[in-house]
Amino acid sequence: MPLVYRVAGVNALVLLATVAVTLVVLAPRKFSSFAADEAVVLAASLVLVALLNLILLRRIVRPLETLTSLARRVDLTRPGARMPGASATSEAGELALTFNEMLARLEIERREATGRVLEAQESERLRIALELHDQVGQELTAVLLGLARVRGLLEPPLRADVEDIQETVRASLEDVRRIALELRPEALDDLGLISALAVLCERFAQRTGIEVTQRFDEEVPELGREEELVVYRVTQEALTNVARHSGADHAELRLQARDGGLTVTVSDRGRGLGADGEPGTGIRGMRERAALISATLDVGPNPDGVGCAVTLQVEGVAAEARA
Amino acid sequence: MPTPVPQPVLSRNGAGRGESTQTPIRCLVVDDHPAILAGLRGLLAGEPGVDVVAAVDNAEDALQRAEHEQLDVAIVDYQLPGHSGLWLSRKLKRLAHPPAVLIYSAFSDYMLAAACVVAEADGLLSKSALGSDLNAAVHRAADGLIRLPPVPPTLADGLRRRFDSLEQAIFGLLLAGIDRGEIARTLQIEAHEMETRQWTMLRKLERLD
Repeated sequence: MPLVYRVAGVNALVLLATVAVTLVVLAPRKFSSFAADEAVVLAASLVLVALLNLILLRRIVRPLETLTSLARRVDLTRPGARMPGASATSEAGELALTFNEMLARLEIERREATGRVLEAQESERLRIALELHDQVGQELTAVLLGLARVRGLLEPPLRADVEDIQETVRASLEDVRRIALELRPEALDDLGLISALAVLCERFAQRTGIEVTQRFDEEVPELGREEELVVYRVTQEALTNVARHSGADHAELRLQARDGGLTVTVSDRGRGLGADGEPGTGIRGMRERAALISATLDVGPNPDGVGCAVTLQVEGVAAEARA
Repeated sequence: MPTPVPQPVLSRNGAGRGESTQTPIRCLVVDDHPAILAGLRGLLAGEPGVDVVAAVDNAEDALQRAEHEQLDVAIVDYQLPGHSGLWLSRKLKRLAHPPAVLIYSAFSDYMLAAACVVAEADGLLSKSALGSDLNAAVHRAADGLIRLPPVPPTLADGLRRRFDSLEQAIFGLLLAGIDRGEIARTLQIEAHEMETRQWTMLRKLERLD
């Protein structure tokens, strides 16, 4: 039973008991000649007082209920949810104020923690990419050269075997190269966001055979390095999801300037999200990255209900300054 | 009856020997990874018509050897300790008899191709290329037939942001395959100015500034 009804019930009982006691103590003799109309008035006023009590209680308790429901659904990967009516003028208002402060603190802490994790992840990725390139890649190249030499010394039946091995080594060298490239968004530093995204789309199309239409607004706002990295990684992850789950042979990457901010949309017209609608680790990762730069991420079907669209909204510097 | 193939233009940046030459192709191999260097030398040594003149592991030694030997083709690893393969490419192209330069790299993509254009390298060779492709590339380079892969416009746009307006003009003309002497005349700049600019552009492309 909600708190408000329990308190109101107790209050009503106390009131009833008080009235009963008063009647018995103060007017025991008059009790028998208690007029029927007086009893009605007394009962009516009792009910009225109880109702008034209930209404007042509800007003006090409502912010608590809002608080409870907000606390239940608050999601730090989607920051910005706050209690309404936060002010120091009432106790409920003060509670809301404190709660909002706590949310803000948690969001900042989470953002910092996520930032550290992502930074560590990026430098780890870079290290692995370099290792793959400088060690594994070089050694495979040496193997390939050695095989080419051996092949020249062999008679035809064995030669064909060596050629098969060569092909395998060459394929794994290509894999190593591709993985190293994906791990390290070097193009971002070298080319800036727009060209890096264009290169990403081209490489993606080359590897998967899924064409990516690029629709970029003429003027897109300049973003900071962290924001660019998040946009790049989210696009990369969204494209990977298209290749993995959509079954589509075509995708679209759209960059739109909006209120000084940037909206990035990766959409396809494939199978869409699974029936369970549970976000996979990929989507969680994207959301965490988005939260890091206070951007919002939405994943769902396209406006016409077909396929899947991942939309990242990054606030511009101007929008942040206004807020 | 096979139709006679028209004889292609053989010379580019002064490289190329002409197909009629019977002397072996004189090769320089540069790679800092010992196993790759040995592998390259071994592979090319086994190829008829190819002579590996020198195999060294850094750009400075390579240049010194090139100054004393007549070379036809240089196979140069992109990532070298000290000066890069692209630095070596430009230095080799300033020799009296510049060899054809093949940049040998794991990441033989458009980005490197753009830098190669500025470094006047003749071709890009992937480290995942098969031995037969490698040998073929050496022969084609010696005949002046090798070309860099085209740089996609979106990528060229991104790279242009690093240059000032004159460098952008030079870059555009180099990408279009215009001879650098012709570029200097068109833009009305001195030869040494062109030279300095190219070094600056290369540094900017390699992010050394």
